[in-house]
Amino acid sequence: MSMNLNLSSGPHYRDRWTTPFIMFVVALSLLPATIVGVIVNGVHALLIVLCSVVTAVLTEFLFDKLCRKPDTWKDGSAVVTGLLLALSLSGSVPLYAPILGAIFAILVVKCCFGGLGKNFINPALAARCFLLISFGHSMTIFEVDGVSMATPVADLMAGKAVDITSMFLGTAGGVIGSSILALLAGGLVLWALDIIHGQICFSVIIGFVVFIGLFGGQGFDPAYIAAHLCGGGVIMGAFFMATDYTTSPVSRLGQTVYGVLIGVLGAMFRIYGTAADSFSYAIIIANLFTPLIEKYIVPKPFAYRKRAIALQNGETPLPFYKRIPKPVFVLAGIALIAGVALSGVFAMTENTIELQKEAEKAASYQEVLPEAQEFVKTDDLRAMLEAQNGYVYGEDFGKAYINDAVIGQDASGQTVGYVVSATSGDGMEGNITLSVGIDLEGNVVKIAFTELNETPGLGMKAEEPAFKDQYVGRGVSRFKVVKGGAANPDEIDAISGATITSDAVTNAVNAALDFYETVLRGGNE
Amino acid sequence: MKITFRGGVHPKEQKELSREKELRILNATGEMVFVMAQHIGRPAKPIVKRGDPVLVGQRIAEADGFVSANIISSCSGKVKAIEKRRTISGAMLECIVIDNDGQYTMAEGIGEKQDISGITKEEILAKVKDAGIVGLGGAGFPTSVKLAPKNPAGIKYVIANGADCEPYLTCNDQLMRKEPEAIVEGLEITLKLFENAEGVICIEENKPEAIAAMQKAASGHAKIRVMALKTKYPQGGERSLIQVVAGVDFPTSKLPADVGCIVDNVGTLYAIQRAVVYNEPLFSHVMTVSGDAVKETANLIVRDGTSFREIMEACGGLKEGVTLKKALCGGPMMGLTLSSLDIPIHKTTNGLLLWSEDPVEKAELQMTACLHCGRCTTVCPQGLMPQMMAEAAEKGDMERYETKLYGLECIVCGSCTYICPAKRPLTQTFKRTKAEILAAKRAAQAAKSAAKG
Repeated sequence: MSMNLNLSSGPHYRDRWTTPFIMFVVALSLLPATIVGVIVNGVHALLIVLCSVVTAVLTEFLFDKLCRKPDTWKDGSAVVTGLLLALSLSGSVPLYAPILGAIFAILVVKCCFGGLGKNFINPALAARCFLLISFGHSMTIFEVDGVSMATPVADLMAGKAVDITSMFLGTAGGVIGSSILALLAGGLVLWALDIIHGQICFSVIIGFVVFIGLFGGQGFDPAYIAAHLCGGGVIMGAFFMATDYTTSPVSRLGQTVYGVLIGVLGAMFRIYGTAADSFSYAIIIANLFTPLIEKYIVPKPFAYRKRAIALQNGETPLPFYKRIPKPVFVLAGIALIAGVALSGVFAMTENTIELQKEAEKAASYQEVLPEAQEFVKTDDLRAMLEAQNGYVYGEDFGKAYINDAVIGQDASGQTVGYVVSATSGDGMEGNITLSVGIDLEGNVVKIAFTELNETPGLGMKAEEPAFKDQYVGRGVSRFKVVKGGAANPDEIDAISGATITSDAVTNAVNAALDFYETVLRGGNE
Repeated sequence: MKITFRGGVHPKEQKELSREKELRILNATGEMVFVMAQHIGRPAKPIVKRGDPVLVGQRIAEADGFVSANIISSCSGKVKAIEKRRTISGAMLECIVIDNDGQYTMAEGIGEKQDISGITKEEILAKVKDAGIVGLGGAGFPTSVKLAPKNPAGIKYVIANGADCEPYLTCNDQLMRKEPEAIVEGLEITLKLFENAEGVICIEENKPEAIAAMQKAASGHAKIRVMALKTKYPQGGERSLIQVVAGVDFPTSKLPADVGCIVDNVGTLYAIQRAVVYNEPLFSHVMTVSGDAVKETANLIVRDGTSFREIMEACGGLKEGVTLKKALCGGPMMGLTLSSLDIPIHKTTNGLLLWSEDPVEKAELQMTACLHCGRCTTVCPQGLMPQMMAEAAEKGDMERYETKLYGLECIVCGSCTYICPAKRPLTQTFKRTKAEILAAKRAAQAAKSAAKG
């Protein structure tokens, strides 16, 4: 009797868990967040999720076929990437965004670098940042029930109160996967199943909280820290993005270092940076550090650690705190020094920048109201301005803000006019801020820009007298923009090719005039 | 109290297939084949010639040097041949083939109870050496060498290994249930060699009957205690046990005795008791026959030199309509695959597994690229970084493999390969890389001495 027996080198036994199974569990753990996201954001969010996932899988499938690679699309990692990408997008992005993003994530970031296990940054995050940079405008529109609004983090950074409960539940707007409750549920299950490493997710959170607490300016105020934790993708980043196997270190010590790095960078960007999506960048930067961490932070086998060596020689081992690896101290030190240095530089420059801005503002006030010798504020005016601070002014002026207003007086203390500084957030390239000089009859004396970064050759023409002098001495309280052939006093000729800029400037001027009408003139009578 | 080591895996136990099967003696009928190299160290030298008559318990080959072991005949009959035969590892090695007459005539004086009250250390060691006892846990290190460390007074623990952490294997469980007193006596005899030592019998929690039996047998012995350990592979590894009992990790360059420990399998202790008290050398041992392809699983007392085929047939052969796909000597984690069943067992063979399905074949189809999930590093009982080691080995970066990653510290327990969701052949890579590095070192050494000479 002859037999054909299979031969193999031991072990001859395998665990049941496979790569697709792990991917399946991760995808499943994202389901609660997806469901909440779809309920809050509507059917369009569901379409985004579907587009992203299907495109991701399809891209990998086509890549496998075209490049004659083994069928790696079956391993389920593309599904996870697609899902993560979709959850990190706003619920109102056009559908080309998830499709382009998924193609970028799978084709460029993953497949081109060798596929599963070879990419050097998180594909979903890379795609998200790619979309943010390439389609900035449409990516940052956040709508809830059709009303566009600022994200809670933007509010938080502007110093406004935020509703932590709605952030926690995910009804506050932001990205599709913004329900902290649902994300935490999925993330903690993954942690309990040992699929993601606690060393990463918890050190991210600890690093973030400690840094915010030390340098956030409000100490360890639980509500403030909770608001920071609940916004801007910190939880999604900590549990689902930072823990991506391929782009995070394998050793526990390395994972801790990596996690703290993300937490600290994320908090640093949050406090001192301007982008609300800074957490993505923190993770990507830490991803880039992973090979370095892997190269140098390699734990010794148990038998070679200090405690074991002491025991082998029959000595009493050192107490635990003396056995903490040096890199931990070094890194903690670096983080602390960087934090102190940054906050110091920020504090110093903040002052200088403020002074500079003040000086510019004062100069512009003088420019738009040459008659005045001195600019003053009454207490009432101060209170009115305080109340306006940070809020969109009125309903007819787009995203306009009133920054400041002063009363111009001549040498004898007689009021000769007013200056209002207004900002429109609807410029082509961001904010447009201008000072408007208004005489006692309500005529515009002159306007001057203190912040104008429009398209050179088009929007920048707003600076030219041909445009900005149109507002002067018209005796109207509301201007409107027409395209060529302005005939009436209230009509402004748009800059050709820069209607958006013209509208924004006009909105700011109108807001300033309205503020004059309702507050300044009324308050002085 | 600490009851386990760091890392480890929980493979499906499959012990229920055979755990209640009581030990029975298998008297083989065909020819018996005794391999000269079935222990660690130099192969034994035959002291019989073709045609010589032999009896049960008769020495047929002698230890060649210090680290080597005697080989004892397990049957009576005539020496048929001394020739090279296929062995478990697949290699053709020198064997003594005995034509078994089936009478099992005992050699003189074997099995007679001795009075051991006044026995000296030297007498114990001599008896253990004469009996050809080797470590029955699997490695087959000559026990007489292990029991004679440089500093016997420095030994603090003699650990009786009854963990039996390999899936499927239940023979030591049955042995502990059937012969607890004998094992305790074997441990007591061993403790006579080390006056400062305490005897610790370690058993995994999944063997409550064995724990109870051993506890009963050990009660009244001041220097012996039983420890119930967490069921986890490789709990029965020598290093895992020392980590639990003595709390020490030590590198592979050191021996257990260097950290004050001696680890002996319960089967070895039983053999010591038989040798010292009953003057019976080692020619039989316990073994489990299990797997989904065999008709009747069993725990057997088998005679050395029996062929795997005979053992399988003694268990009713294969189930009807089942094709045997894989045959394993030992457990599924550290055992060896057999290319044929017409191969003789060794003293250390503690299992024959017959499978109609091959998990490795299935796993090879599920293989993906490494995910860097880090599962292998969590389970490594040595605290190594298998993922990094595999990466370094694939790149051929032997420097990093050896010095930064301590790759030679791998004890090839197989936990990393077992747990890997990507089904990477990690342990297999480490076995190969270790062999390559050691070969390169030997070659360098040889070149150096040649240059000198």
